[in-house]
Amino acid sequence: MSDLLLEVRGLRAGYDRAVVIHDLDLAVEPGRTAVVIGPNGHGKTTMLRAISGLLQPWAGEVTLDGRRVDGQPAERIAGLGVVHVMQGDGLFAGMTVEENLLMGSFVGSSWRGRREALRRVYQALPIVQEKRAQKARTLSGGERRLVGLGRGMMRPARLMLIDEPSLGLAPVAIEAVYAALADLRKESEAAVVLIEENFTHVGGIADVVHVLEAGAIIRSGSYAELSTDETIVQTYLGALPEAGR
Amino acid sequence: MTDIVAILANGFIYGSIYGLVAIGMTLIYGTLRILDMSQGSMVMAGTYVGWWALAEHGLNALVALVLAFIVTFILGTATELVSVQPLINRAKEVDLEMVTFITTFAVAILITNLALQHFGPFQKNVPVIVSGQVELVKGVTISYHELTMAGISIVLMCSLGLFLARTRWGLAVRAVAQDLDAARSMGVPVTRLYPLTMGLASALAGVGGVFLGGLYFASPSAGDQPLLFALIVVVLGGLGSLTGTIYAAYLVGLIQAFTEVRYGTTWTLTILYAAILAILLVRPYGLKGSPSEARL
Repeated sequence: MSDLLLEVRGLRAGYDRAVVIHDLDLAVEPGRTAVVIGPNGHGKTTMLRAISGLLQPWAGEVTLDGRRVDGQPAERIAGLGVVHVMQGDGLFAGMTVEENLLMGSFVGSSWRGRREALRRVYQALPIVQEKRAQKARTLSGGERRLVGLGRGMMRPARLMLIDEPSLGLAPVAIEAVYAALADLRKESEAAVVLIEENFTHVGGIADVVHVLEAGAIIRSGSYAELSTDETIVQTYLGALPEAGR
Repeated sequence: MTDIVAILANGFIYGSIYGLVAIGMTLIYGTLRILDMSQGSMVMAGTYVGWWALAEHGLNALVALVLAFIVTFILGTATELVSVQPLINRAKEVDLEMVTFITTFAVAILITNLALQHFGPFQKNVPVIVSGQVELVKGVTISYHELTMAGISIVLMCSLGLFLARTRWGLAVRAVAQDLDAARSMGVPVTRLYPLTMGLASALAGVGGVFLGGLYFASPSAGDQPLLFALIVVVLGGLGSLTGTIYAAYLVGLIQAFTEVRYGTTWTLTILYAAILAILLVRPYGLKGSPSEARL
């Protein structure tokens, strides 16, 4: 099992006394993209936060490249090459776009490569370059999401955790975000765990899809398998995904 | 005319030193969301470093300033580790702002009383950094010491601004102030950043202390008045706003200078507090503050 980049076993986590996820297992191979879908409030964000260390897991193991990281603080896990693109962007609202991006290069050795990283991000996301001198709080939702992704590209990652990139965005903006994600997948060798509420947008990037319900993974399979499984589609998503996605 | 020059000149000098002492409190409030009541004792410590270096050992003025910076940096870092850090780890169960208001004040009293034990209650003379004075217009003179104090205060405030805008750790301080979780996921070691921030803030106050010692004295109570003024300035400026703090510092300096020139020193605090009361009633969050906006 040592060829797994991320291995989560028996993870249990929550807030105060409320258990949100329990006995959650998840494995991601290097360079692969695992998409976790499921209804809101069933623990997707909690799972990501427990992996990145923003939330201390109550039980279970999180192993990165064969190395236990559960219980370590988020800043240390970040230093091991985990990039967490947070829900609602997690941008520093009072800082400019470029300052936000630079923070993406904070970790140790990546700071020295920040100029080069900035160039790469600006090349990949021209809209971000256009807005680079603006305060993050003045951006539209879609722009913010792209800056958040760009910030995640500012240092070499082994694992990217991406929290609901389509959340609250207009369809046009969602398309732009997923186009950027697809580019990112081509360029980066990082493994990705991406969470979304539904299948609609993830077809192009998912190597494997997991369905998370009530705090545990209840189904796993390829996008083709799950997106045509009527029980899954109707029970958890309510509607069939748009044709062609 | 003479009055106007005197008001502007003195207002500028007061404002600069108030800014230097208060800006550290703003930096700390912006990052940790606590009011650091030990800031006055850092000024006091600075006056004693000035006295020790300049009067006792006849050292160069620059050496005295650097020494004050280092000593109060260490003192400030230690204060954070002792009186704030243990509580941050329990932030869920305690009202951090309220409890640290008391614990940092306790440390301030502790430091003050150690100074009292060690140096005794009597005021000690601190030599001025630069002697001599210049007459601006007839009847209005400013000492070179005051000019240097204002100049270095401004240089330090600008340096702080550049540090926060341009450097890796400066950006990290602002990032922590705005979104703690996001900053941690960027890899910012918050547990190290907090003590260093408080050390830096204290060091600025400590440098201010060397100047204030030269203007007045080194004594155990040398930090009381500066703390009071710093509190006024940070609240008036809008808690956590750096630019607001600087505006407020000069405004307070000008009000003080105006009062002294027109009505005499005894009216200073009365008029100052009346003005602050009036301003805060109109703008409860201070000049530049707002209830929810991210800071620094």
